[in-house]
Amino acid sequence: MNIFDKNFKDIFFSQLVSLCGGLIAGLMLAIYTDKLLLIPGMLILLPGFLEMRGNISGSFASRLSSGLFLGIIKPNKIKTKIIKGNLAASFFLVLFVSFLLGFLAFLFNYLILKTVIIELIFIPLVAGIIANAIEIPLTLFVTLYLFKKGHDPNNIMGPFITSTGDITSIVSLLIAMVIV
Amino acid sequence: MKEIRKHLERLREVKKKHYHPLIHKIHKKHKISKRTLFYVKEYGPHTNVPKTIIKESIKILLFASIISSLGGFALEQVKGIFISIIPLLVLMPVLNSMIGDYGIVVSSKFSTMLHENKVKRKWWEIRELKRLALQIFLISLITTVLSTSIALLVSPFFGYALTTATISKIFLISILDVILLVSILFLVAIFAGIYFYNKGEDPSNFLIPITTSIADFGNMLLLSLLVILFF
Repeated sequence: MNIFDKNFKDIFFSQLVSLCGGLIAGLMLAIYTDKLLLIPGMLILLPGFLEMRGNISGSFASRLSSGLFLGIIKPNKIKTKIIKGNLAASFFLVLFVSFLLGFLAFLFNYLILKTVIIELIFIPLVAGIIANAIEIPLTLFVTLYLFKKGHDPNNIMGPFITSTGDITSIVSLLIAMVIV
Repeated sequence: MKEIRKHLERLREVKKKHYHPLIHKIHKKHKISKRTLFYVKEYGPHTNVPKTIIKESIKILLFASIISSLGGFALEQVKGIFISIIPLLVLMPVLNSMIGDYGIVVSSKFSTMLHENKVKRKWWEIRELKRLALQIFLISLITTVLSTSIALLVSPFFGYALTTATISKIFLISILDVILLVSILFLVAIFAGIYFYNKGEDPSNFLIPITTSIADFGNMLLLSLLVILFF
């Protein structure tokens, strides 16, 4: 049984890309530990916040790719109803999930750790807006660009989103902490 | 052409529930792919695109957020020890996305095998599945060793003193975490995939959210347990 086939190479190289993004995010986490994890409850929302990029931008890229392959979305036409609708839905979902993550962290803190930290609701909300103001347009343009260049965005966008998403998430959390 | 348009317009008016038989009929008659017809039904000109996406995504995102927060809560309980072990702090985002990615790969590949009717009663005898398992385990082992080595190499720059015992413990924690979770994800994908497929549902719609949620929650929980156990 030959396990070192094309499948192996595809999975392995996409994981290497994803690993780089994760390591950069981890390094930033280590550099700014005193700022990021100083607030009690930040570790509760961090896994969900990092995962949100993949869940929302990943689905967005997948929907775009399907539309591109079916010819319903044209790579040179951005101002269409379907793209605008996808952008609006993705931004709404980001706001919803960011608020929810903040609220859950706040609730866990209040109920179990008996501390009231209202910033836990606003930090992910502001960070979510910042991160997605970068990530969603980036996903749109990279997906369209890859398709125009003859690549299958499905093979590339997954690791691309997880690696860039991890970095933008940590940076935006830091910015949000300064703002809030 | 007029007839196709008439049929497609009828399809757009169909309420989105399960797989509608009209899709099959139009697919057979006009040779239009089922994916195209599905897209027409979901995002046609008369549909509210944001509403459709939000309605379909919100429940699973709600579920994923709760699961991730529970995992994060487990980690918060060992925060003191966790943030003092710099290599594990650096590794945390890597392990999180890596295990989730393997869950997605296993789920989508196994769903395809089910659709292609390659999965018979004795699933453990399927050559393609055995090959996939070997590939995933080997890749996860290589990437875990690689990322752990990098995390260990950079940690002295943050003032973290490395000893042989700590290095061994961190390698053991990361390898155990990844191997255990990938094994669980494999089994969940197989059993849940067969279950949903036998129920007449598309396993792809269920397996990815299930496996990524298990990966997130499991990773945080297992990391917390292993940190308590080893440190």
